[in-house]
Amino acid sequence: MSTTAEHTTEARYETVVVRGLSPDALLAISEERKLSLLRDDMVAAQEYFESIDRDPTDVELEVIAQTWSEHCKHRIFGARITHTTNGGTEEVDSLFKTYVKKVTDDICEQKPGFVLSAFHDNAGFVDLDGSLATCLKVETHNHPSAIEPYAGANTGLGGVIRDILGAGCGANPTASLNVFCFGAPNTDPATIKGDDVIHPLGILRGVVRGVRDYGNRMGIPTTAGAIQFDPAYTYNPLVFCGTAGVIKHGDIAKEVKPGMKVIAVGGRTGRDGLKGATFSSMSLDTDSHASDQQAVQIGNPIEEKKVADFILEARDAGLIGFVTDCGAGGFSSAAGEMLSEVGGHLYLERCPLKETGLASWEVFLSESQERMVLAVAPDAVPALQELADTYETEMFVFGDADGSGILKVSHHGEMVVELDCTRLHEAPRRELPSEFTLAPVNAFAFDETVDLTSALKSVISDFAVVSREPIIREYDHEVQGNTVLKPLAGASGDAPQDGSVSAINGSEKLVAMGLSILPEWGKTDPYAMGLACVDETVRHLTCCGADPDRLAILDNFCVGNPEDPSELGRLVETCKGMAEAATTYAAPFVSGKDSFYNYFETEDGPVSIPVTLLVSGIGVVDDAAHVTGSSLRHVDSDIYLLGSLTSDLGGSVYARQREITDAAVPHADCATNLERYRALHQAIRSGLILSAHDVSEGGLATTLAEMAFSGKGGIAVGLPESVPVEAALFAETPGCIVLEVSKENATALESALGGHALTKIGCSTSAHADLVLRYGSKDIVHGSISDFKDLWKNGLTPYY
Amino acid sequence: MEKRPHALLLKFPGTNCDVETARALESAGFSTKVVPIARANEDVLSGVDLVVLSGGFSYGDYVMAGRLAQLETERRLGDALKKFHADGGYLLGICNGFQILTKLGILPGGSLIDNTSGRFQCRWATLKNHRPDSAFLKHLPEEFELPVAHAEGRFVTAGDEALSYINDGLAALTYTEDINGSTAAIAGLLDETGRALGLMPHPERFLEARHHYDPDWKAQDGKGSGYWMFKSLYEAIAA
Repeated sequence: MSTTAEHTTEARYETVVVRGLSPDALLAISEERKLSLLRDDMVAAQEYFESIDRDPTDVELEVIAQTWSEHCKHRIFGARITHTTNGGTEEVDSLFKTYVKKVTDDICEQKPGFVLSAFHDNAGFVDLDGSLATCLKVETHNHPSAIEPYAGANTGLGGVIRDILGAGCGANPTASLNVFCFGAPNTDPATIKGDDVIHPLGILRGVVRGVRDYGNRMGIPTTAGAIQFDPAYTYNPLVFCGTAGVIKHGDIAKEVKPGMKVIAVGGRTGRDGLKGATFSSMSLDTDSHASDQQAVQIGNPIEEKKVADFILEARDAGLIGFVTDCGAGGFSSAAGEMLSEVGGHLYLERCPLKETGLASWEVFLSESQERMVLAVAPDAVPALQELADTYETEMFVFGDADGSGILKVSHHGEMVVELDCTRLHEAPRRELPSEFTLAPVNAFAFDETVDLTSALKSVISDFAVVSREPIIREYDHEVQGNTVLKPLAGASGDAPQDGSVSAINGSEKLVAMGLSILPEWGKTDPYAMGLACVDETVRHLTCCGADPDRLAILDNFCVGNPEDPSELGRLVETCKGMAEAATTYAAPFVSGKDSFYNYFETEDGPVSIPVTLLVSGIGVVDDAAHVTGSSLRHVDSDIYLLGSLTSDLGGSVYARQREITDAAVPHADCATNLERYRALHQAIRSGLILSAHDVSEGGLATTLAEMAFSGKGGIAVGLPESVPVEAALFAETPGCIVLEVSKENATALESALGGHALTKIGCSTSAHADLVLRYGSKDIVHGSISDFKDLWKNGLTPYY
Repeated sequence: MEKRPHALLLKFPGTNCDVETARALESAGFSTKVVPIARANEDVLSGVDLVVLSGGFSYGDYVMAGRLAQLETERRLGDALKKFHADGGYLLGICNGFQILTKLGILPGGSLIDNTSGRFQCRWATLKNHRPDSAFLKHLPEEFELPVAHAEGRFVTAGDEALSYINDGLAALTYTEDINGSTAAIAGLLDETGRALGLMPHPERFLEARHHYDPDWKAQDGKGSGYWMFKSLYEAIAA
């Protein structure tokens, strides 16, 4: 049983004079208090307080700083942007509204009843089977992971799991994904500029262990992921954590009503995680490592597990009116959001603390982990207290919703916050310029003298291609007993898969999860990156057995300095490509997030990350029989290529290895691809497909080798001669998939997919046979599959 | 109608395999009830045929895996669990449950410590069935596969008791290859009565053929090996 908690003994706050000050003086206050509020923001706050004829308390200023922070308000995505491209200028009235919300609204009209909620809750839901719904949320925890890799990643995953527990009246978390962008693990330490920058190896190990210890203890399988390596990420690593969930349709709607009690449950409140929301909205520099560690929270997954048990049982008992999690901004954002329309009164002295002596603002703004806030009917309080006792977690009645429309926070009888939130929701709009010019592209310098077997070995050994097995095995990807398509499968259980599929308790249907991240593409052609990320996600989900017409996607952006017009210009172009693809695939966005200021001030100037887009998605798999893996299953199967390769090698692993940076990046033909994916889905439903693996990083040669890594047989293929041989091997053309089909189904497949660029390219050969790739009459690659597999399987083992 | 054998699943803060373990037990014919430890007392054992400690990280396993759960079980239930067992009751501990049963002294002496790799390992393991005569393993073949997922699964003893467990037949399950550094590759142990089994692998994760990593795995009646473990136990208790 828990010990008696500490509480504050007095209110500690001060009044901050803002009325009558000049904008410069206001800005000085923002800087002195690390509020991260801009000059216009401070002026707007001043106008508010002048209108109510008093000066704010420091608690109120902190509340406004958190509410208007980039982290919480996404002001760059809401900004008015003047975008210059190809000599023309256009106005983008909010990236979010233009390229995310409108796209989704239009799709919702086309697919009524599929999207059940989007954008307004902690995660958006789509229909699974008419009675259950599924959701996915992905968050970044970049700056905390840069300075405290273990704790940063630990609480990154902990936070996104709470988003799922706080979605609807509480969804069951079913599976997690993790995507990391780091410097190469073999980076020479002497090349790193900046004293306190943690070497990528330290980041990698700390982050993986942080994710492991949270996910495994929570009992949520980590089933999907990816890692990208680029020198720029050495200074500002990216850590994306995502969790999918399931809920009954009837538990999605939630509402705070006047008269309800506001309840907080879970961990106690301390000084850990102060100003995390504002910290993550600034860039990093050497001082961050020393001065901002207070901003990194400390995770306790067992506390969160107890809270999860409490929430899910309270939901099933119908005791929850509204629930949300304490993330960035702590009680201020959780309770503030909850009471923003209805209004209410909270009492800080009731809050159990980890330590004594917290100031009023620290209690209200602390980002201590594992806390959830609920609104419940007054007569539900005793039953909830009993549940909290059952699961050995702490709960207290924080205050009441009162219908006044005013957020009131008192502390030992003194009013420390009294704000009309409806007037504070709209932060001043930002206005930003952006520009983008596509650099001239040159034809790829094909080189007939390249030793192609060596080239394939080197592509397969690339950090972007090698197996993540040492990391995947540290995550429990089987807990809950529902992981049907595992991240590693095939006859020896160690071959890669395009995505993962989880069975869902209480449903005949399953949920596939897939993702795509291609930062290398965006360096040349961000529009192409936007297209390709959506295409690859849809392709992954389809290959796994999901219906391409019933999937939902998420956009997670990480960008350097948005005040640099060229960086913002790349973001705008990426958004355009992404929106174009999402519209064509009719793939709605149900959640998304953006993270800015991902750059590091070195002595030689700022190092910014490449504009990075992670698209992730969930798709409905109608029947367990449709689940399709990426591993070769039988000897003597026919091997087909679905889709046409192009000779555009820009952005590919091969081009990067050849140090070619000016080649054209392929543009996904989404309309054609959608018809292809629909036809493939019908073929999967008809049982024609033994395995399917997409052509992505490393090209067709890598795809074929990876299929053969299952150990079931060799592969002998004649490469398409419509493109030069290096493109045939290594082009990463969107829309292309390799299929394994039994000989008896070959005719049926050809009639089903004949109109969709289907080409028979070869067959699987006997067990222990080689990988043989022919081009014309020549065997251009002929090697032992186990040799290739050793390179691929052990690429990361020296480092992790 | 004949009463179904009843299984009680004790749940600690951090236990996280109770849902799928209850599902596995029910698929084999048991009725089940999950009881959080804060609500457990001697009375919860009445009418119970099988007590199951399922996998997870009780209290975070920050001290030694299973140690706090052992203390809390003794505080809540006193001798009742041991009495239940002595009176003919069955006990099953999976993963963290194996660690707790070992700490409770119900299983043969020894400790489950950090894997020699120092890492959590989530993979599949082939197991050798040394006790097809036991209540738990009757329907299982000489060798079968189950998933493992643990960081502290290396079974060790102070002297060479572990080897004697092999000779005495208490080591009901061994790995066919080195998974975690366990002495004599021990994966699961029976107690002297044959009514308590602890094992590190997760039978509840392999109920159906589709749970196997290889889509072409040939199933016995479409069921996974884990199902047959629960079915064996069901038949032994229902008989």
